[in-house]
Amino acid sequence: MPLLKAPLNTPVWIDITKCKACDICVSSCPAGVLSMRQDPTSTLGAIIDIIAPESCIGCTDCEMHCPDFAIYVADKKEDGIKFAKLTVEAEERAIAIKNNNFRLPLDYGK
Amino acid sequence: MNTREMISTGNELAAIAAVDAGCHYFAGYPLTPSSEIMHTLSDLLPKTGGVAIQMEDEIASICSVIGASMSGKRAMTATSGPGLSLKAENLGLAQMAEVPLVCIDVMRGGPSTGLPTRVAQGDVSQTKHPSHGDYKSITICAGNLSECYTQTARAFNLADRFMQPVFVLLDETLGHMHGRAVVPTAEQTQKEIKLRKQFDGKPEDYFPYGVAQDQPAILNTMFKGYRFHFTGLHHDKHGFPTEDMDTCRLLIERLFNKVEQHEDELEAYEEYMLDDADIMIVAYGSVSLAVKESIRLLRKENIKVGLFRPITLWPSPAIKIKEYTDKIKKVLCVELNMGQYFHEVQRVSSRLDIDGLFKVNGRAISPYEIIEKVKGL
Amino acid sequence: MAFDYNKYLRLEKMPTLWCWGCGDGVILKAVIRAIDKMGWKQDDVCVVSGIGCSGRFSSYLDFNTVHTTHGRTVAYATGIKLANPDKHVICVAGDGDALAIGGNHTIHGCRRNIDIHMIVINNFIYGLTNSQTSPTTPRGMWTVSQKAGNIDPTFNACNLADAAGASFVARESVIDPKKLERSLIKGFSHKGFSFMEVLSNCHINLGRKNKMASAMENLDWIDSITMAKMKFDKLTEDEQLNFLPTGVLKEDTEASEYCEMYQEIKDVHQGKRAKITQNDFDKKI
Repeated sequence: MPLLKAPLNTPVWIDITKCKACDICVSSCPAGVLSMRQDPTSTLGAIIDIIAPESCIGCTDCEMHCPDFAIYVADKKEDGIKFAKLTVEAEERAIAIKNNNFRLPLDYGK
Repeated sequence: MNTREMISTGNELAAIAAVDAGCHYFAGYPLTPSSEIMHTLSDLLPKTGGVAIQMEDEIASICSVIGASMSGKRAMTATSGPGLSLKAENLGLAQMAEVPLVCIDVMRGGPSTGLPTRVAQGDVSQTKHPSHGDYKSITICAGNLSECYTQTARAFNLADRFMQPVFVLLDETLGHMHGRAVVPTAEQTQKEIKLRKQFDGKPEDYFPYGVAQDQPAILNTMFKGYRFHFTGLHHDKHGFPTEDMDTCRLLIERLFNKVEQHEDELEAYEEYMLDDADIMIVAYGSVSLAVKESIRLLRKENIKVGLFRPITLWPSPAIKIKEYTDKIKKVLCVELNMGQYFHEVQRVSSRLDIDGLFKVNGRAISPYEIIEKVKGL
Repeated sequence: MAFDYNKYLRLEKMPTLWCWGCGDGVILKAVIRAIDKMGWKQDDVCVVSGIGCSGRFSSYLDFNTVHTTHGRTVAYATGIKLANPDKHVICVAGDGDALAIGGNHTIHGCRRNIDIHMIVINNFIYGLTNSQTSPTTPRGMWTVSQKAGNIDPTFNACNLADAAGASFVARESVIDPKKLERSLIKGFSHKGFSFMEVLSNCHINLGRKNKMASAMENLDWIDSITMAKMKFDKLTEDEQLNFLPTGVLKEDTEASEYCEMYQEIKDVHQGKRAKITQNDFDKKI
């Protein structure tokens, strides 16, 4: 199986040139790792952002659901990659993002 | 000795020619009067390791033939007028994607269901332009039993040379006529096989549609390491869809140029007693047999008639026809349709006084009808 | 898992022309992963696609690819497969392509049980040509060709394939791409006609005027109408009206495959066996 090698210490990474801002990966992430952010240069005015990679649990839902080859999750067997366990804080953040049109609320955590 | 004598029907001879010419795949649907070609091939092709299949309809037939040909095998189908109408859209794809194939049309009375078991020559215009859009069609017509064999074998070579469908016109008379034919031996036909060009360089240097403006595409056999894309959309040199203005224009121009700039390789006709003729008859297919007999009878009465028989109907032998129409006083087109080639002779000759003898009641034309018409000219 | 799709893609054609969030991309990735796990050589695979958004499927894949006329994928594939019986031929068609104009060819591909793998991407609408009714568009939904509301009944593609004789029938959706991949592998491994219906989201065309304008809403709707076969079988008939069972719905490994049967015909004509008679078959009618 041909696999991409993860960038150093990165459980999840994106190929930003491929993102079409469909929101699906943000919607599918249970741990609030992802959020859309404003981008005036993209067609829909938004682009994907990894806001909390340390919370990534390696479920690969984002990679599986992305239609455009834009997001990848490191292979579980790869050396040096640590996936987190799902915490209540991460779950709450994920819900807050989903309820805010897939964008992390600007005043979140403050 | 590279000829043999065979006693057979036109349909069977066409089928035998196809097998000798290396046809690997046949798909068809029962349609009078072409069904016997399918019946014969369903016995002959599996013997040689080939495939003959009866598909669920005419459209499935042509589609699977195109598919087999895309994969690199020589493929053909056989049909009549109604089937040709059904195949139109996919024949267009074969033209656009430059897929070689042979389509035999055993013409019958039309239009629509017409006269299934009776003769006509009503598909001549249709094979010139069966599908929508712009492309240059190649159509050849057998004029006797031997040509049912030789023209079918020739069609495969032409299809591979020009990378497009080639129509072989028979008619119900020839298809069902049982008689003597002198045809090349199987070995001779095999020796004359000229398969489509292949690219043998590195796959990354291969551009199937990236050829000179007067050349056909070079489409490598599938599954051999050259992976590319076939499409009916306008495409670039890779075969990928494009809407680029220049690429689209050049593609259409090349589809015409590849035929028009090499018409010398396509031209075929017969000149029968035309050297001293005062009257020229233009006829093709089984009608030419009756015309020849009428000429022999008229000549006995010292009426100087000759026959110009185009074998490649499209593109028409325009220059040759004009050579004759410029000097011969009377020109008569005899056809079993309402003048489908008559219009071409008119166009090519720029003459408005071309005569026509058109018979459209599903019956063959007898030499006496032709003699009567010639005498009345 | 960071699967590297680049080997199987025509990278110069990316990004895909599909809308943002279109399920076609998810299916494309799942097909690539499944083919990779099958261990098939790229040169041995031919992908035939039809007309429509799903028609662009083949142009992105680095195999021998064919983009055919509307509705005829199975017919083209039959020619390619019969002329090259040891190669792998995959058809990809949309719901309109496979079930409306191409209905007849789909039926006969199933009937022949020829070893072709057919993937019908069902997004319940004609997407590329902008929202016309397809044979699977639910009744009462808005389409451009029936703005007063769709009255056309739908038919169940998997039931059709089963009845026509396909020996492998499955239905999955883009809701669970890993399950989709597993079913694809089962289908690719199957010898005979494998019919796979994959439900996909078209929020731009179907969803926009039917209260599911975002990918997530459309995906939630697909989730709400699908149910694993085991659970589905336990529902009452009335309850079953509004669900589509997913998973492998039929797997008949005993049915004779067409290319193998055609080899028998070759053997008859080459004198290697006696003529085929009724006694060669259990099912004689």
